This record gives sequence, C-alpha cells and structure tokens, in this order.
Amino acid sequence: MDEFNIVLAGVGGQGILLASEILGTAAVKEGLNVRVSEIHGMAQRGGAVVSNVRIGDKVLAPTVLEGKADVLLGFEPLETLRNLKFASEKTLVLMNDETVPPTELMRTMKKYPGLNEITEKIHRFTRKLIVVKAADLALKAGNILTRNVALIGALAATGNLPVKVESLEEALRELVPAKYLEVNLKAFKLGFEAVGENKSSRF
Amino acid sequence: MPNLRVLLSDEPGKRVLLLGNEAIARGILEAGIGVVTTYPGTPASEIGDSVSAIAEEAGLYMEYSTNEMVAVEVAAGAVNCGVRALTAMKHVGLNVAADAVMTLAYIGVRGGYVIVTADDPQCYSSQNEQDNRFYALLSNLPCLEPSTPQEAKDMTVSAVELSEELGLPVLLRTTTRVNHTRGPVVYGNLTKPKLKGEFVREPNRLVMVPANARPMHVKLLEKAEKAEEISEKSPYNTVVYKGNGELGIICSGSAYNYAAEATSLLGLDVGILKLGMTHPLPERMIGEFLKTYKKIVVVEELEPYLEMNVKAIAKDYAPTAEIYGKMRRSYFPRKGELSTRAVVTGLAEITGKKPPIDFGEIDSKYAEAVKDLPSRPPILCPGCPHRASFYVIRKVTGGKAVYPTDIGCYALGFAPPLSIGDILICMGSSVSTAQGINKATGVDTVAVIGDSTFFHAAIPGLINAVYNNHKVTLAVLDNLTTAMTGHQPHPGTGTTGMHTTATRVLIEKVAEGCGVKYVRVVNPFNIDEASRVLKEAVQYPGPSVVVFRAPCTLMLMSEKRRKGIKTVPCRVTDRCTNCMACIKLLGCPAITIKDGKVSIDETLCTACGLCASICPYKAIECGGS
Repeated sequence: MDEFNIVLAGVGGQGILLASEILGTAAVKEGLNVRVSEIHGMAQRGGAVVSNVRIGDKVLAPTVLEGKADVLLGFEPLETLRNLKFASEKTLVLMNDETVPPTELMRTMKKYPGLNEITEKIHRFTRKLIVVKAADLALKAGNILTRNVALIGALAATGNLPVKVESLEEALRELVPAKYLEVNLKAFKLGFEAVGENKSSRF
Repeated sequence: MPNLRVLLSDEPGKRVLLLGNEAIARGILEAGIGVVTTYPGTPASEIGDSVSAIAEEAGLYMEYSTNEMVAVEVAAGAVNCGVRALTAMKHVGLNVAADAVMTLAYIGVRGGYVIVTADDPQCYSSQNEQDNRFYALLSNLPCLEPSTPQEAKDMTVSAVELSEELGLPVLLRTTTRVNHTRGPVVYGNLTKPKLKGEFVREPNRLVMVPANARPMHVKLLEKAEKAEEISEKSPYNTVVYKGNGELGIICSGSAYNYAAEATSLLGLDVGILKLGMTHPLPERMIGEFLKTYKKIVVVEELEPYLEMNVKAIAKDYAPTAEIYGKMRRSYFPRKGELSTRAVVTGLAEITGKKPPIDFGEIDSKYAEAVKDLPSRPPILCPGCPHRASFYVIRKVTGGKAVYPTDIGCYALGFAPPLSIGDILICMGSSVSTAQGINKATGVDTVAVIGDSTFFHAAIPGLINAVYNNHKVTLAVLDNLTTAMTGHQPHPGTGTTGMHTTATRVLIEKVAEGCGVKYVRVVNPFNIDEASRVLKEAVQYPGPSVVVFRAPCTLMLMSEKRRKGIKTVPCRVTDRCTNCMACIKLLGCPAITIKDGKVSIDETLCTACGLCASICPYKAIECGGS
C-alpha cells in the first residue's frame, strides 16, 4: 500500500490526539510505516484541532495534501466542513453529529447551521458520508470522554482502514489507563456496532 | 496518553511509535546524557516532560530552569565538568539564551552538549516564526536538522558525539512538524548516564575576559573548520536520489519530506541532496552537486538560509548554475510552514509540468463551502480563573486603561468579550512596555503576566519600574502552574522536574523584595474584594502589584477526578431574563444558547461560579447538589 490518509478534525478537548495515536500505534503494530501529525499548545485551548494520520510505504510528509484524504473523521460538524479541502469524491466522511457552538456564535446571536445544510455541503465533495451519534454512544458506554474511541470503533466497522480491528483494540489497551480501559472498550464496541449494524445511520 | 516508560526499554532494535520530542528523550538515554535542562515552550515542551517522567528511573538529572538562559548556563557548568547535557527550548527561547550561547561557543565544552531549538513555522503557538539556522551561522556552532522522529533520536546521539569530537555545543534544530509528528522509531543501545564529573581550573579557557576571549575566538574558528570537514563526510548529508541529471534539489529537515513526495507526484526524475548537517555546510559536496545538474532547486522552510549559502558556493564551483528558490523570484513561500502543495506548485512552475491535482478548483469549491463558517480560535477554558481576573480588570478600569499582556494562556484575553491585551512582544514585555506607554501618554496601564512568565522574565522590568518610579500596575495571574505548555512546575509551585519538593518562591515576596510598596494577593473569583484591591492598586502613586491567585482549572478538575469528587454544574433558574450579560461579558464556552434561552452545558461547566456572581438577576445557581 502506497498511502492511506486520515484527517481527524474537531475541537480541542474532544480526544483527537488520542484517537490519532490509536490509529498510528495500530499501524506500527502491523509493521506499517506511519506519520501522525498533531498540533499542541495554544491551538488546543478549545480551538479548532486537526490531526493527520498517514499510513503506507511511500509516506514521508507529515500532512495530508488537499483532496487526498481517504477518510475525514469529523468530531464536530463545523470542523468537518472546515477540513473539506482534504476531501474528494473518493473520501469517506465519518462525522460525529455532536455540535460544539463556537463562542462567536453565542456572542453574535447567530444560529448553528442545521444538519441538512451541513450534509449538503459535504455532499458537494463526496456522497460517502456516515453520521454517528458518538456522544450518545460514549454516554451509553459510561463516559462522554470516550466519544473519540466510539468514533474509531465506527471507522473500523466501515472496513475502510488498512489496519485490523484487533490491532486497534490492542493499541487501545496499550494507550488507555487501566481504570478507563473497560469503558473505552465498550465505547469502541458500541461505535463498531452503530455503523456495522444500523444502516439507517447512513446518508 | 502513552506510558513513557516505553522510552526506558533496553531492547535495541525495538520499533515504537514515538512523537519527535519523545524520540529526542530516547536519544538522551541512548547518548548517556546526565543533565537535562529546559524551559517549557511549544513545540519543545514534551522533550523536558518526557525526561521528567522517567528521569529518576533512568538515573539522570533534569530541571525546569527559570528561563532558557539559566538553562544553558546550568548545563554549561555541567558540561565543563565532563558531564553530558542537553538543553531544550523553543526557537524564541534561544533569543533569551543567546547571550550565554554566543560566548559558550568560545569556551567550548568537555562533555557533549546539545542545544535543541524547536522552531515553529506557521506560528502555531508562538509570537514569531524566526529561522534559527541563522544562529548556527552567527555562533559558528554545528547544526543538525532532523526530518523524522527516527532522525530526531539518531541525531541527538550523533550531536553528543560531534560535540565531544569538536569540543563545541551542537544545535539540534527541529520544527513543529518534527517535534509533533509521531513516527516509527527503532531503538539503539542505552548508555548509562554519567552524573558526576570534575571541575578543572582552566582560567584561560573558561574566563572570558577580553585577553582570553580573543585567542578563544581563533580556537572557535579552527573548530569550525574541522566541523566543515566532518560535514563533508557526515552520513546525514547524502545524495538520496541521483535522477537523470536535469534537475537537482537541495533540501533539509522537514522540507525533504515535502520535496520527495512532490517530485514523485509530478513524476519528476530528480536528484535530491538531503542535508542533515546544515552548519557548517559541506561546501565541496554541494559544489559537486551543483555541477551535476542543469537546474538546481533549493527547497527549504522559512528563510533562504540554504539558498544564500548554495549561491555563494556556486560562485566558486558552478558560476553559471541556474538556481531556483525564494530569493529575488519566489517559487516557494518565505513565510508559514512548507507543504507538499507548496513544493508541487513551485516545482510545476520551474519545470512547466502540470500538477496532477487542480488546487485552484479545490480552493474555489472549498471557499464556497466554508463561506460564513464561524471561526473557532483558541479560548480560555470554562472555569479558567483568568476569565475572572480579566472581568475584574475591565470592570475596575472601565476599559480606559492600556493593557500590555504577555506570553501564556492569558494572551487569549485580548479577544472579545474580555478584550484585555493591547500589546504583546515577548516573555516579560508586559511590565516594561507598560512603563513606556504610561510615560508617553500618562494613561493608566495595567500589565498582565502569568506566574511562570513572571519568574522567567519580569523581574528586571519590575525593578525598573521601582527604580525609575513608573506608575504601572502589574497583575500577575498566578494559576500555580505553567499551564499553556502542559502544566510544568515552576519556582512558585513548590515542586521540581524531579518530582521532589522545593522551596516555594512567592511572587508577592519577590515584588516586595524588588521594592514595590503596594503588593496584594487576591482570589479572582472573589469579585468584590479583587475589584476593591485592584482599584487601590491603579490609584497608587507608584508601581503596584496585584497577584490574582487561583489554580488552573484543568489542573483542579483533574485533581477532582483523581479524588473521585463530583462536579455539580451551575444551573440557570427561571429568574433568568435572557439579558445575556453572562454571554456578553464572559465568553465562557460552557454558557450556550439553547432554544433561544441561556443554558449551561453540563459537560463543560466546572462550577467555578463566576457567571453566578456576575448575573444581575442572580438567576444562576452554583454549588449544592
């Protein structure tokens, strides 16, 4: 495999860095070459966060080229839109429907765009869109902070990843502190089942 | 987050996914470094943090020093006793340390010494995007530039060897995309760190009075010449691809990654000279490369450091060489971070090849899709005590004072609705710029600075205010940690990088010791008391200091989680008139509008109570169960 590109986009605090690391660790476990590129520091304080995971023999650059994402994993609808430049008609967009309204919207009393408007804009780039209720799944698993792992589970169920489900689970076991492991494994499973079994979540 | 004990593994050949900064920490263990000093700063912070997490077990000493200059000086002492050391800092940290570094180059080292400068193209978390390769040129110190986490580790080890071979400190220059990229790293052998050395009196070498400095400058130039010979043979300077002789690319660091992918995307059969040791440059190697190709393209991030040097070398080796880069005619950007796209675009222009991707089409389609998309800049966290401090400062001064600010989370206070932050230059600049502004205008100035930044760079400025009697108020927003860079300890916290307890240096005592007559400590969440004190401070006829002390909410919340203490979020009661005061005055991300009504997001609220205390209708309830 030459390259497989994943762009993860959301808001600081949603667990994007851990999700990226799970993907990267799973790749290394399978002996694959990988680059995971993150932005730390000021950018993390409740601001827009983007992380890139690139897997494959030919991968050198840390960042994904415009139009070359195989997967756009959106943790938040507006942030999914903000990263559409990485998408093409070949891209699978897997999006959490949980909205985090920017404070600018509050102050200016503007409305957060509706889900229909958002999906319409995504459809201009690709028809391959799956919407997941990751926050609900995380709460069902027992902790809202596991939304990131629920999304990784959902992504694994699409069969679109170049790494095995077992490797992802193994990475999870390695990266998550023992006392939070059970709830995370549950979130992973719920995410997996949500996409694997509930076809109605597909657009 | 990863268990950093993986860095301690004594299994050479083991392949692990590491962040560039963690890879440097592993390199420290493989190189047998005994002393690590640092001042945290993005994108360098995780080097010190990783070492701090494992230092005791690894048997080495690490410290968070007060600032980068102190960090270099502590290490300079150790390396001149024969102990190996590394100092990590962000690019602008090297400006602070430069005074020490420039002369340490004359003195040299006995134990290997690496200075990591982590540059931040694109200013992801910095006030500028200076290119620190020029410090290598300025100081005559060797410079290594990794392009991957693997190279970051390998070069840390090589830098120590190089440093001992030459008797010089070596710069390891990284960029954000190396520091904050994870990649597979194959381990080498661990070396037991040597912690104890011996101080040998050599005043002619170590005491840089003019009579000693002059001959030591000559020695430095001799070492630099030797370094150039090493650079000619360095395995880090290599022709990676030979190509068909048409086009030759010269690049270094992260730029190599983009260049290699860009040429492959364009289907170009090029020669690539990848430079990992970028000072001194291998003149003969570059000269021969220039002679081999019809066209030469220099691909590099930020300033045309390589291009200037390559053009100077071309004058002697290949005077008619066609060299493309960013000087005069710019094929690549001189600002921001480089990308595969930027390199594809530049190479397409130079070669006349059509890029395989229509970027213009993507851009216009994208611009249409994100039209009116609200921005999401970083903001103060829900429950952040700085929000309360800013509210008090604004309330007391009515927005009529000038508010110089400083480097840290609180710089985010410049944004509406808090709007406290009128000028920001560098660490410690708040207190001193306030003095000039007050002198020039007579307007009240309230300078804002954080606790760690206060210790780092504000004390001479504060003494200046006392000595020259400047009427300024310094608000120290003391959240008891170095929050922005990941909660490192500092002199005011009572703990060290080795996780031992330390004497707490109190900001109020320092201010009093500097001669400030009006010094008070307040809790920013106690709005009435804090306002009364700040008002007094602003009216005080000389310099005044108010310490707003409350712990960082991230730290507080994680402690609560650890102890199993539940947070009961604040609630909006039916007394709420939807006046929006909370939203318009505080900009707290936990306060939202749901179905046209003010509502508190239970997952974000930390129950700090600020909104409850400022609500004109007492319509928000905090506390209780």
